[in-house]
Amino acid sequence: MQSQIVAILRIDSEKAESKHPPIHTHSLLLYLLLFRSNFLQTSTSISMAKMHKSQSSLLVEPMYSSVITLLIIVMACVELCDAVTVVDVYRLVQYDLAGVPFGSRLAALNHHAGSSLFSSAGAGAAADLSRTVLILPVRELNLSFIREYIEQKKPLGGLLLLIPPVFSPQNTDSGGGADHDPAKDHMKEMLNEVERLLIHANIPYPVYFGFEDENVNSVLADVKKNDASGQPATATTGGYKLVVAGPEPKKIASPTITNIQGWLPGLKAEGDSNQLPTIAVVASYDTFGAAPALSVGSDSNGSGVVALLEIARLFSNLYSNPKTRGNYNLLFALTSGGPYNYNGTHKWLRSLDQRLRETIDYAICLNSIGSSSNEIFVHVSKPPENAYIKQIFEGFSSVSEELGLKVGLKHKKINISNPRVAWEHEQFSRLRVTAATLSQLSVAPNFLASTGGLSDNRHFVNEASISRSVKLVAESLARHIYGQEGKNIDIFADDSSLAVNPSYIRSWLDFLSTTPRVAPFLSKNDPLIVALKKELADHTVEVNVQHEVLDGMFTFYDSTSGKLHIYQVASVTFDLFLLLVLGSYLITLFSFLVITTRGLDDLISLFRRPTSHKMKTA
Amino acid sequence: MTIFHFFNCAILTFGPHAVYYSATPLSEYDTIGTSIRTAVVYLITALVKLVCLATFLKVSESDSFDPYQEALKALIGFIDVAGLYFALTQLAHRNISQNHKFQAVGLGWAFADSVLHRLAPLWVGARGLEFTWDYILQGLEANANLVLSISLAALSSLMWLRKNKPKTLIPVIYACAGIVATMPSITSYLRQGLGWHFPKVVGFELFTSLVMAFISWQLFAACQRPSN
Repeated sequence: MQSQIVAILRIDSEKAESKHPPIHTHSLLLYLLLFRSNFLQTSTSISMAKMHKSQSSLLVEPMYSSVITLLIIVMACVELCDAVTVVDVYRLVQYDLAGVPFGSRLAALNHHAGSSLFSSAGAGAAADLSRTVLILPVRELNLSFIREYIEQKKPLGGLLLLIPPVFSPQNTDSGGGADHDPAKDHMKEMLNEVERLLIHANIPYPVYFGFEDENVNSVLADVKKNDASGQPATATTGGYKLVVAGPEPKKIASPTITNIQGWLPGLKAEGDSNQLPTIAVVASYDTFGAAPALSVGSDSNGSGVVALLEIARLFSNLYSNPKTRGNYNLLFALTSGGPYNYNGTHKWLRSLDQRLRETIDYAICLNSIGSSSNEIFVHVSKPPENAYIKQIFEGFSSVSEELGLKVGLKHKKINISNPRVAWEHEQFSRLRVTAATLSQLSVAPNFLASTGGLSDNRHFVNEASISRSVKLVAESLARHIYGQEGKNIDIFADDSSLAVNPSYIRSWLDFLSTTPRVAPFLSKNDPLIVALKKELADHTVEVNVQHEVLDGMFTFYDSTSGKLHIYQVASVTFDLFLLLVLGSYLITLFSFLVITTRGLDDLISLFRRPTSHKMKTA
Repeated sequence: MTIFHFFNCAILTFGPHAVYYSATPLSEYDTIGTSIRTAVVYLITALVKLVCLATFLKVSESDSFDPYQEALKALIGFIDVAGLYFALTQLAHRNISQNHKFQAVGLGWAFADSVLHRLAPLWVGARGLEFTWDYILQGLEANANLVLSISLAALSSLMWLRKNKPKTLIPVIYACAGIVATMPSITSYLRQGLGWHFPKVVGFELFTSLVMAFISWQLFAACQRPSN
């Protein structure tokens, strides 16, 4: 407790010395009493000490002055202050892309709270907010103002964006997408906009995300009240002070990305010397978002990971029995680096044995398959006339009819000269491996979009939809493996022992939806990676974990979350006033005591002669 | 940084003691030695009290008001009176009139109390960023405590040092001394038993301290008269 206070003090004094210009002299207004000072200026404290000395030598007075003390007590009853509030906050991502800085460039925060971009004092946009932390609830955010503010690089002390609690990763109740709340959808859109804006901007002040709760809301209400009364909070007028103590964000030295691969061998016919063909199922598991500590990505790509694990489980059941083991090898891969042009997939494919790579018939990549929409798309980069593509698509569409899904085929050519890789299958295609991405997104996402950011959480993901997608993939794969294409058989029938397990899907989805997975912040032995590896090891015969270094374009900085301390502080003016009151109290006390014990004449004689001389004679 | 606020609170807490010393004839008769010795006596008393509290009191998990425990606490609180008795009667004072002796003792007593109980919280707390009224109130409490200590010392000196006092006043003196000596228990009852808030308790303390000071002053004056 004490060391914490000391730490805060230290930071505070540093700030005070470096940032605060000479303190404005404000008129001594009575209502400012309700606030207290929080500044330190050595000069002031020295002058204080001098004043103190001179007072004690000629102090004077009576107990009637307790009227003043009573006044203070009355004021105390008016506004008794609450204790320090501490909230969890999550910092906007800070990264360099090829040397160009993006995101929030600072972590330490120590400023007064404000609630509006414009001061109500009439000065309009000219208000100086360089020492104010704006608290803005996203639900009331005016996007065009904030965009303008960020793009024009206007100074700001800091920004605290409040997100409705429904978007908290801790909120694991599945809205399931069954109820389509237009307000929530609007919020989601809004969050996406804000996220896109903040990720691609270079912001020279700290930006934090927090969740609305009672404490923060009451503070915000107070701040708004103050702002409305035309008294923006500064060092001289008090109000609330927001402090996030933290070291300077440090670069993360060589961020690693970890790929996990599971191998399920098929049954070789006796005497067959040829390699068995292989089918790969791939999903990228990491995320990227405005707040790395909140990027849980339930849909992108938690849903794909869950589906992959469930498919692996289903086929491990089939392959555990030699009678039902197919003539195809199955390769499951959880890749990292998805948001960064599928860098992990690229590395993983490169490191794969050339002979093995050549045996891959085709690869199916799973991406964002958890929304409640009835449409699903097969994204390919080879022309649809290609035999393999045709076969994959027909396999899917025949099963999808039975499931009541609508499958569409989307073809997007690769531009080799463009470094942007929008879909995971494009990494395969670049190495001439046939691949398709199964996704509910109809168009290729932009760079660093749809990567599991702020708005992508459990609330908007439908388990039933994932179950359906699992069934679609598993069923079509199985029909291909066992040569049952076009026949109306149900291998993973709902009530059989091979049925898709909804509770397995739910538990994994819940786990992933509470685990932020931004690759550079995951260590090599992160519990998440260990858990994924163990799960894949349970379902497959051979598991390999591959650690790679993320390609040099990206540099990330740490301190992704912190504790925000909200202090109620009073103004310098209040302390000045208090000093005045105390001074007069002591003077009155002195005069009173002198008069009662020595008489009035003594008191008068004190003033007649110089005090120092009087002391000697006394 | 709130050094400024800390200064204010410190002035409120310790200023009156200094003012009392310099304004009254105490400074003229150089009674600082008496006050310092009293402060030492207070320290020893506080230590004894601490040992007693630790020995006889149970640590209560809840903040509730337990009458038995509180009575015990009040009883232990009377060790203060014993300490004051020692300071008033046993300490060697070089030719100070009774008048000044009790003031010096009361002052030293109150100052030691303030330093012991209020300086550390002030140093740790009042410099924090968060603003609370607590430290200002605590300063006011110190003022009330100063008045009470001097009143108690005055009453004690009447009890033990003055020989020829009016017989009719003796019970009154003892009653008042009893009330002043049990003040800590009374305030703790108000705070925990009745759930009063700190500002209200401090207001009460200020009020009662002024009343008790007035009563003891009158008693002292009444005792002074026949001897004159």
